[in-house]
Amino acid sequence: MCGIIGYVGDTSPISVVATGLKNLEYRGYDSAGVALNDGAIEVYKQQGEIDDLQLPESTDAKLGIGHTRWSTHGEPTDENAHPHTDCEGRIAVVHNGIIENYDSLQDELSDHEFTSETDTEVIPHLLEEVYVGDDLVGAVQAVLDRLEGSYAFAVTAVGHDGMVAARMDSPLVVGHGEDGNFLASDVTAFLEHTREVSYVEDGDVVSASADGITVYGDEGVVDRAVRTVDWEAEAAEKGGYDHYMLKEIHEQPRSLRQTLSGRVDAVGGDVDLELDMPEQYLQSVEEVQVVACGTSYHAGLYAQQLIEELADVRVSVKVASEYEFTGGRDPWRTLVVAVTQSGETADTLSAMREAARAGARTMAVTNTVGSTAAREADDAIYIRAGPEIGVAATKTFAAQVTTLSLLSVYLGRERGMLAADDASELLENARGLPGAIQQILDVEDEIREVAEEYVDGEAFFFVGRKLGCPVALEGALKLKEISYAHAEGFAAGELKHGTLALVTPNTPVLAVLTEGANPKATLNNVKEVESRGAPVIGISSYEGAEKFLDATFDVPELGRLEPLLANVYLQLFAYHVAKIMGRSIDKPRNLAKSVTVE
Amino acid sequence: MKAVILAAGEGQRLEPLTNRRPKPMVPIANQPLLEYVIEAVSDAGIDEIVLVVGYKRERIQTYFGDGHRWGVDIEYATQGKQLGTGHAVLQAEPAVGDDFLVLNGDRIITAGLVERLVENHAETDGTLMAVTPADDPSEYGVVTLDGDGVSGITEKPRAAAVPSDIVNAGVYAFDQSVFEYIRAIDPGSDGERALTAAIEAMIGDRPVRAVRYRGLWVDVSYLWDVTAVTAQVLDAMDDPVQNGTVEAGAHVADNVRIGSGTRVGSNATIRRGTALGNNVTVGANAVLSNVVAFDDATIHDGAVLRDCVVAENATVGPNSTSPGGPADVIVDGTYFEDVDLGAVVGDNASVGAGVVLDEGTVIGDGARVGDGVTVSGRVPPDAEVRGG
Repeated sequence: MCGIIGYVGDTSPISVVATGLKNLEYRGYDSAGVALNDGAIEVYKQQGEIDDLQLPESTDAKLGIGHTRWSTHGEPTDENAHPHTDCEGRIAVVHNGIIENYDSLQDELSDHEFTSETDTEVIPHLLEEVYVGDDLVGAVQAVLDRLEGSYAFAVTAVGHDGMVAARMDSPLVVGHGEDGNFLASDVTAFLEHTREVSYVEDGDVVSASADGITVYGDEGVVDRAVRTVDWEAEAAEKGGYDHYMLKEIHEQPRSLRQTLSGRVDAVGGDVDLELDMPEQYLQSVEEVQVVACGTSYHAGLYAQQLIEELADVRVSVKVASEYEFTGGRDPWRTLVVAVTQSGETADTLSAMREAARAGARTMAVTNTVGSTAAREADDAIYIRAGPEIGVAATKTFAAQVTTLSLLSVYLGRERGMLAADDASELLENARGLPGAIQQILDVEDEIREVAEEYVDGEAFFFVGRKLGCPVALEGALKLKEISYAHAEGFAAGELKHGTLALVTPNTPVLAVLTEGANPKATLNNVKEVESRGAPVIGISSYEGAEKFLDATFDVPELGRLEPLLANVYLQLFAYHVAKIMGRSIDKPRNLAKSVTVE
Repeated sequence: MKAVILAAGEGQRLEPLTNRRPKPMVPIANQPLLEYVIEAVSDAGIDEIVLVVGYKRERIQTYFGDGHRWGVDIEYATQGKQLGTGHAVLQAEPAVGDDFLVLNGDRIITAGLVERLVENHAETDGTLMAVTPADDPSEYGVVTLDGDGVSGITEKPRAAAVPSDIVNAGVYAFDQSVFEYIRAIDPGSDGERALTAAIEAMIGDRPVRAVRYRGLWVDVSYLWDVTAVTAQVLDAMDDPVQNGTVEAGAHVADNVRIGSGTRVGSNATIRRGTALGNNVTVGANAVLSNVVAFDDATIHDGAVLRDCVVAENATVGPNSTSPGGPADVIVDGTYFEDVDLGAVVGDNASVGAGVVLDEGTVIGDGARVGDGVTVSGRVPPDAEVRGG
């Protein structure tokens, strides 16, 4: 997982590439580097954060490529940082992905001198063998056949004016600017310069110069549509907040209004998700499979219960890296829903492809227009959460669950299993989400005080039932990710089957006691842990629960969506615990935002 | 030149609307007051803004972010405690250069006022203060002038003793010397340093010039200003934006603004001066005249409201009415007669079915009013009102 950017044009590439890298920091941040081409190649790279990268004040170069790294092959060191060059230092490459056959390629290139432990370094050395004159496009095309694995890479070479890039199973977009042209892993890298972008397809080779961009497919030049991105470049700024994560938590009311806007007819009990799915197909579906990873997986678990209940169809949720289209199901009657914020998560993409190969219809639920998942799936729904920079997903979880709850109503109505009145109730509740979440954000100080009180806990256990269970899992994941505290989420009834042995007066328990989460039964589990001396923090709308709780946070009435409100409290709890502990909240150790390696 | 905008204040006279947001975030015709100031500054060609924030600053930061949407670059300075406008300006000291503007973040002004200040500043150095005539000068700092020079400021004089109707418009141009004057103020027992006290101290030492301005200048001091100013702003707007969905048979007047994701039910009537925020629900047959509904508010079927504010996420039940009309309202111990205020329903408050809200009723945030009750006066936040 890494981020790449390239710029060629009329202005100095130094600041364009450096700010671009900064905007891509969420993709990795253990090393960074830049190569400038002013007739000769100059490389600046080192281990450490982008802010620490030493770049020259000015340059005559009109072209630069840059890279921010999240290590997969080879430790984060100066040598392993990109760009990598050939033996003569005439060709420089930045790469995101994994070259799987790099071992055998290195053997074949035994007369070349390798200076890093990376898989990437084979690319410049392979290019060195075939690059003659100024035909860099030809050289890249010749090399692609020899590479196995996933890549988006960009090359600059002495003797060639522009830059050349190629893509296979890793994201790559090109930007058409007024003062030059761009290549990057993600549009956020260059959004402040241009919003006119084209998405590059697998197998494409791109040649970018100051004057224009040419894309080569298998059989010569191809046309890749230019689209206008309407995201705000605000993406890259924290706007007065200490951390992107807190900013994004506070953006939830606004982003959910976007998620809902124009999609909900609460009076008629209908939703409009702009899907083109035949009614007969939806009625014939026997199983919905949700595939996802991490936080998106928890959103899938939430959706499972809603879809089964409202659309009367069997739903299974699979961790994407474990997914196989196994026996006992008819692919023609199986709908596979891939939930991925970035739309580039490698595990989820490969699960989706497996399902498509088996013959199932696929749907992507993603935040990223034009992402690989959105393009490859038969249908796509956008969660419209806006850019999320914090590594710990917050507003995108809320937007995923909200979007999936709309999907559950859509499926229920199309399958004729859901009455308009029942649909209206959930849709009214969905429209109530922004206001209810703001109500919770308004009492952030109370959560901070509770975080201060319990920050020294040895471990934290999160429990909930029904829809409260995925929220307990998500609450624990948030706390783990950013505070590094030991945290576990459970179905509340599972405590007594093992974990109760770990409960002590030093292990706070956080319980989801809301509508849709069987609070009455969970309250019994609360009593179990209290009799072992553990303090209990309740996120509750259940009357009479307070007297069993050491701290209580009130959840506004919102029916089946109350557990999603409870999650906002858990986000803030995780944030404040991590902040008190002095953790690197937006960039937790060892983690990256969207994981494009399997 | 940067503009420093003071947005850290609470605005207690607008309670309960300011219990959950700072005064600059009170929406007028679907835009926070502060947005009018930022637009005026941006339209006047200033693209660097320092926002001094404090009370409930998250609301401001989340809405304005880095200012990209307004074509400006916003940085934030935090005033930890509300220790006066002078203290607020001190928080911006590290962020500004030799010369800068200072503006209040809770008054509606025009770009013309900001431009005049910038032009005057280009001609002469030193301190400039915009002054404007006001209908109720005793509410503001009344300025006495000597030619173009400011010779004195009297803060909120008693009505009988008002020396003129020219008041401080709350827009200034300063150089670095102002910081010394602010630091030199004796904060007194309440620890507050007012910016005007620094200017008064300055008057003896160096020229403070007035920039006269007669354009749009509106303060929103009291709850009834929220509805009245909204109507005024909507009337001045050329074809206000109407997003959302309007069901069949509903009638919506031209000078009404409607946010996105908002739904107006069938046969509802939305009259002049009404602003519905984002994700608002108005039920069938409701009749709204000069109603300001904040984001996420719900007004159920058949409600009839006039001159009302329904704050964020608040609910007004079916067939509830607030007929409006002149009301007598007490704010902070002062008695106001004959103001046009139907009712205010605070954030997250809920009013049940068939409730009558007498003129001038103020329901606190989070309060609950049961079905069929008649309410008047002030209901405190989080209180519960049931029928006897």
